Amino acid sequence: MSRLEHLPTLRIDPSLTLPLHYRGKTRYGVSGDTVATALFADGVRIFGRSLKYHRPRGLYSLDGECANTTMAVDGVPNVRTETTPLVSGMRVAVQNVMGFPEFDVMGFMDRLSPFMPAGFYYRILHKPAMIWPLALKSIRKAAGLGKISPDFRTIGTFEERYLHADVCVVGGGAAGMSAALAAAESGLRVILLEARPWLGGCWDYRSGADSDALPLYERSRELAREVADEPRIRVFCRTPMIGAYNDNLVTAVQSGGEDEGFTERYIEIRAQSVVVATGCIERPLLFENNDRPGVMQVGCAHRLARTYGILPGKTAVFSVGHDMGLEAAVDLSELGVEVLCVADAREDGQHPGLVRALTERGIPLLRGWVAARAFGKRHVKKAAVTTVEGTVRREFACDLLVASAGLSPVTGPLTVAGARLAYDVHTGYFLPEALPCGVHAAGRLLGWNDPGAAEASGRLAGVRAAADCGKTVDSDAAEAALAAHPGPESGCKLVTAPVAGKKAFVCFDEDATVKNVRQAIDMGFDVPELIKRFAAVGLGPGQGGIPGHNLPLLAARYRADTAPPRPTTVRSPLVPALIAAYAGAQRDMCKRTPLHRLQERDGGVFRRTGVWKRARYFSDDTECREEILAVRNGVGMLDASTLGKFRIHGPDALNALQRVYVSDMRKVGSDRVKYSAMCNDDGCVIDDGVAVKIGENDYYFTTSTGRAGATVEWIRYHTRFDEWDFHLVNLTDALGVINLAGPDARTVLESITDADVSNEAFPFAGYRTFRVDGWIPVRAMRLGFVGELSFELHAPSSFMPALWDRVAEAGKPHGIRNFGMEAQNVLRMEKGHVILGQESEQRTNLLDLGLGFLWDRSKTDAATVGAVALEQAEDDPDRLTLVGIEMDDPDRPAKDGSVIVDDRIRGYVCTLRRSVTLNRAVGMALVEAPLSAPGTHLEIFEDDCNGQRLKAKVVPMPFYDPEGKRMKG
Amino acid sequence: MSLMLTCPVCGRRNGYEFRYGGEDKGPRPEEDGLTPRAWCDYVHMNRCAAGPVKEWWFHRDGCGSWFTTWRDTTTNLEIQPPEDSE
Ligand SMILES: [Zn+2]
Repeated sequence: MSRLEHLPTLRIDPSLTLPLHYRGKTRYGVSGDTVATALFADGVRIFGRSLKYHRPRGLYSLDGECANTTMAVDGVPNVRTETTPLVSGMRVAVQNVMGFPEFDVMGFMDRLSPFMPAGFYYRILHKPAMIWPLALKSIRKAAGLGKISPDFRTIGTFEERYLHADVCVVGGGAAGMSAALAAAESGLRVILLEARPWLGGCWDYRSGADSDALPLYERSRELAREVADEPRIRVFCRTPMIGAYNDNLVTAVQSGGEDEGFTERYIEIRAQSVVVATGCIERPLLFENNDRPGVMQVGCAHRLARTYGILPGKTAVFSVGHDMGLEAAVDLSELGVEVLCVADAREDGQHPGLVRALTERGIPLLRGWVAARAFGKRHVKKAAVTTVEGTVRREFACDLLVASAGLSPVTGPLTVAGARLAYDVHTGYFLPEALPCGVHAAGRLLGWNDPGAAEASGRLAGVRAAADCGKTVDSDAAEAALAAHPGPESGCKLVTAPVAGKKAFVCFDEDATVKNVRQAIDMGFDVPELIKRFAAVGLGPGQGGIPGHNLPLLAARYRADTAPPRPTTVRSPLVPALIAAYAGAQRDMCKRTPLHRLQERDGGVFRRTGVWKRARYFSDDTECREEILAVRNGVGMLDASTLGKFRIHGPDALNALQRVYVSDMRKVGSDRVKYSAMCNDDGCVIDDGVAVKIGENDYYFTTSTGRAGATVEWIRYHTRFDEWDFHLVNLTDALGVINLAGPDARTVLESITDADVSNEAFPFAGYRTFRVDGWIPVRAMRLGFVGELSFELHAPSSFMPALWDRVAEAGKPHGIRNFGMEAQNVLRMEKGHVILGQESEQRTNLLDLGLGFLWDRSKTDAATVGAVALEQAEDDPDRLTLVGIEMDDPDRPAKDGSVIVDDRIRGYVCTLRRSVTLNRAVGMALVEAPLSAPGTHLEIFEDDCNGQRLKAKVVPMPFYDPEGKRMKG
Repeated sequence: MSLMLTCPVCGRRNGYEFRYGGEDKGPRPEEDGLTPRAWCDYVHMNRCAAGPVKEWWFHRDGCGSWFTTWRDTTTNLEIQPPEDSE
């Protein structure tokens, strides 16, 4: 189809064609098209079949208010093609069609509709229960829209933006732009959101009713230029608002263009004030076959011509209830559509200029008339119009029936922001009774249809928003400016055409008719919220877009309510958004130690541990034989930089340590580290580590990797009532740690420092500071987590690579090896040393782990966190105890986390490995106290033991070097 | 967490920056003669009132302070302390 090429309102470039693939053929749209307008221009009229009855469906609203034109695009189901920009090479497929859109073999479903009243599935497929599986299968097959395969993965780039603004304006029509300009003029930062790809709203394609005035499309372009020239306004197009939350948090999803580097972008805006100027959609006209392709709304027909250069039909009948309908009839007749008549449901109130223009063109205006029925099996061929009373009827052969009962304000953004709506008799709209604090509304949404009034109401809202932000503004002047324009017009009150309503669809997406609504009411579902659910009105992809306004009016009319109609609830997301957009970029945000690259070079295999990436193995041997043997027989080095490292200093530093550690921290010395643990208020162990005194009222302490992030918070929380004077510094990232371990560790260390590191000068648990090679400052601790002689070397992160290389070089003659997390895990397990989170879970207390010796119960003044609960738990016989266990079969170790059972679960395996060092399968387990005696036989169940329980027995710990000669020697 | 909270050091900030620290129950009870039940109630039991509640919050992504503020749990908005609160 050739396009209207020279309209000033076009948003397409007819000279730039784009191919798309549909039904085995390559078709062409043009740059600026949506997928649906490109297909329409190519002659496609049926875009899909409806959910239940498989009725043909076509282009109806152009704003995605119904699922009529949802299709599969490039494998993604349920894409709203009427709002999706056409991209070169797209592959488009119809949904819910068996056969072809024009000849759907399921089309017979439509004739069955009399047998499928409201709530059909709920009521009929209720019993007997045995019909369920069959019914489920056949209904699933026949009904529903898009299909998605279980292994479908969303393709695209998704990202997030978190923005702050003084004022957020939702809707970039004349009112929204005016509001944004007014707020920006007072010096505020404004964000303007617009759902369409351009600013202008309904003025973008209209000339307006007043032929003497500046055409509205020119005025809207003027405003858009002013907005573009205002540096304080940031515009987001293709960005519908989807939700609103407390304190003016507005969420939106932006669709990316082809060149923008993202598919969809989730945006969250924290604003001080919000202006909603989202304008109106149209209230669908209810008549028989109102869903037939060829029936479309005023804005759809008008925009097809003015924005996309496509004539929506050849011969048209209009049935409308507002002046925009008359305006479109005049304009489309001007552009070449033969308009046979305009039925206007209103008796009066029409703009005189538009009435004159219709008369001049010889188009009959039938006041108090309305479309009653569309004829034509697959597309409109004829339209019947009647008086609103149904007394006189006329028929016209036509291929286009432009139908609209009235306007319907887009109040969703106000509702989700917390506004309550009430029926306004004058406009026939559901309008906010009162607006939440810091939220304003403007424009056609409130009925300000007059162009001057729309702008003035926008400016007034902008001024009020500026006042919210503390600006001194002249809102009286802005109010007076608005008062100078005509107020909101009286809205059309027609609810339905005078028809039986068997095929008058209230909701297209769920195939719900006027008759279904009446049935639902007759069955006692008498309020809109119940009807909505029972007759499935507005539960489809378009949500309330089509039925939202009509359903409450219809229900109130049918029930002859004396109370005003009440709207149904709207929830976010107001517009469908991909779950991928909510998920966002999903970048793997992790920390890397200063030694990461060096370990990569050495073949480290990294795993995510909390916020860190850590080297787990240094070969593909997951048993880590070589790594373990190096530490046991020679020397090994481990990157332990992820340990939490803290300095606490100040007059009350010791008080704070006394509060959170279970031990008496007064005993912490300056040349010896003290091992201790922290408990929570339940006495459960949350952390362990060492502390050392590095000066007067000045301590250095370590925490486990996982607790580093919460330690400051923890200590401050438990001292919050004390007003103590101390400072906490998190040095976790500032310092790195190398654990040098093995019988040859001392020889290696001796070769790189002048300090005396002999057993006499630097005994077990000692703390020394010295320099390596005379320049690298090191805090060294003699510890034995892996059960061998070992030195923990703490140094500033910037020195760590140099220290690492130096240790590696010095260790070469001794065959030094890197060891990773898994080797360390086995080594420390053999020694019976616990890792919190592995040997403990949320309920495990200090005593359960056998660490009760750390607890100093004499320091009652300190009010130690956990002490109360520990005292109370001491005599509790029902607690689990940590024990050593050994598998009967050394080649069949149970998995970590498997359960210890007899006739019920009696405990859990914490860590268990086949020990390379000992040639036994040993580990630690938490068991009920009666099972904790050495020699007790245990049975273990794990998921792949094939019902054959594994056998083990309780044995003493530690398994390796019980006297600790190696670690202390 | 869409609410805004006022940190005594940093001012009114996005709720995402804070960690919730529970209802304010005052300092820990005296340990002498404390029954397990009384202790457990102090640690774990909450009033869960619908309406104004005084709570602890931690400015995690900010200055690192613990502070109390009032929140109306029915609106999830920070509020001024009620008149009868001390
Ligand atoms: Zn702060």
